[in-house]
Amino acid sequence: MSSTFYEFFCPVKVIAGKAALEHIPYELAGLGGKRPMIITDKGVRAAGLLEPVIAACEESDLDIASVYDDVPPDSSKAVVRDIAGVYRQEKCDAIIAVGGGSAIDTAKAVNILVSEGGDDIAAYAGAGVLKRPLKPFFVVPTTAGTGSEVTAVAVIADTEKSVKLPFTSSFLLPNAAIIDPRMTLTLPPHITAATAMDALTHATEAFTCMAKNPLSDAYATAAVKKISHSLLAVMDNPKDTDGRLELAQASTMAGIAFSNSMVGLVHALGHATGAICHLPHGLCMSIYMPYVLEYNLETIREPLGELLLYLDGPEAYAATPANRRAEAAISAIRRLRDALYKKCQLPRTLKETGKVDESQLDDIAALALDDGSIMFNPREASLEDARAVLQKAWA
Amino acid sequence: MLARRLQPMASQARRLYVELIFQVMGNALQAISEIDEDVQNEARALPEGFLFEMMVMPHGASLVIEHLGNGRFRYHGSEAPRPVNLSIQFKHIAHAFLVLSFQEKTSVAFANDRMLVDGDIGYAVRMTRILNRLEAFILPRLLARRAVKEYPRNLHLPEKLLNATRIYLKVASQFFDTVRA
Repeated sequence: MSSTFYEFFCPVKVIAGKAALEHIPYELAGLGGKRPMIITDKGVRAAGLLEPVIAACEESDLDIASVYDDVPPDSSKAVVRDIAGVYRQEKCDAIIAVGGGSAIDTAKAVNILVSEGGDDIAAYAGAGVLKRPLKPFFVVPTTAGTGSEVTAVAVIADTEKSVKLPFTSSFLLPNAAIIDPRMTLTLPPHITAATAMDALTHATEAFTCMAKNPLSDAYATAAVKKISHSLLAVMDNPKDTDGRLELAQASTMAGIAFSNSMVGLVHALGHATGAICHLPHGLCMSIYMPYVLEYNLETIREPLGELLLYLDGPEAYAATPANRRAEAAISAIRRLRDALYKKCQLPRTLKETGKVDESQLDDIAALALDDGSIMFNPREASLEDARAVLQKAWA
Repeated sequence: MLARRLQPMASQARRLYVELIFQVMGNALQAISEIDEDVQNEARALPEGFLFEMMVMPHGASLVIEHLGNGRFRYHGSEAPRPVNLSIQFKHIAHAFLVLSFQEKTSVAFANDRMLVDGDIGYAVRMTRILNRLEAFILPRLLARRAVKEYPRNLHLPEKLLNATRIYLKVASQFFDTVRA
């Protein structure tokens, strides 16, 4: 599966490591930002994660003009319109998103409205609608999984029409992603585990699906290595700052990888399960990954076998015959899931979640078939194939 | 020198080839929607009056089909009677030629960013499955394997021959009607 053609694009400045937050004032000043607005959610505020961001700015005489901390888990057109109104009222000139996927997507959408004008974000839905750069935009992720800080997409719900509006443009990419280990230190164990498995899935699918390319491969393998090395250590010692930083960097690297090579059936099934059963995305990824890899096995044997090196280390890789490495890679992922189950009861099957009924599997399979990610899966999954994978993941 | 002189002719030939294949595909999509239950089931999820376009950017060849309801398509030629609901756009005539001459699978073309989707991605996935099924029917197995991600496991020779014949007869009849009109 070598690439005869590929595209790769990531203009996001990644500022990562200890005291990374303290770089925000300098970087924002470089882009002319003097009155930034912070967009976040109540959970982030309650966890005390805003204080270091605000303190880092104020110590450098950068006043935060406004803080909007009421982003819901599934953001909507109305929320985006309201935040844009506050931004205009407070005469802000830049946006700092602090949070997970929802806060970041919301901030991307707000940036469209405050840069392009108008109150209806639906007018900008679709691909390639934006034609020019938006306002200065920084992202401070507080989970290590989504990779949203380096993706050029946002999804906002249109609650009146009960549809999700997708926005795709390279102008949605932030100017900078600030990866500071302080932001993920307090993540509870099951969220640490699920989001890390989300990142691991991004990297694994980026490395094994149809649009893989040499540059995304480099990011994907590095991300897999960091997660394999650090996840269990962080689960044992949540205050392990170095380990947290490794996971946060891995998430960003996996985000860069999959935004340039797309994902596959794990995500198609995960999106459908999330929509029907409201299971967290990272948990869905963790559940489905080994079953989908087994389904794809004969088409991805070579790259999957190569991943064993990054999943299990050089000794295990060298000790495994080449024709067994793909299976060994799946086993390594299964062992990781078992360990996470022991440490925080992260479910390994749909049944273990207690939130899915077996009768819903048909609907999940049907919905997954219409998901865009399925286009990039190396095998052409039929309805029966998707249903069979779901059945294996059931119990 | 000779190559430079031949270049415009090659470009023109490529353009004509893409236009011809779009015409065949448009007519064949209408035909297969009249005879194949799987295609009808896929198409039923599309809204009635749904217009699908496949075109070459910026203003090149195109095919437009409409979902009439109940899984049936009508081929509109290259002109849409109103704004389309879904457009799959090749970025360049060279990319369209790669796909339509079966040098690059449709799925690979998507993965290689040769094409853009303007509209609902779920419908685009569905239309791609319909196009794949059409190609599996009307192309010889060897060629079809180059066009689709995975040749359908349950498509056997008698069914393929029978349906391909019916599709080609309908396409010929539609061509004949167009010429006569």
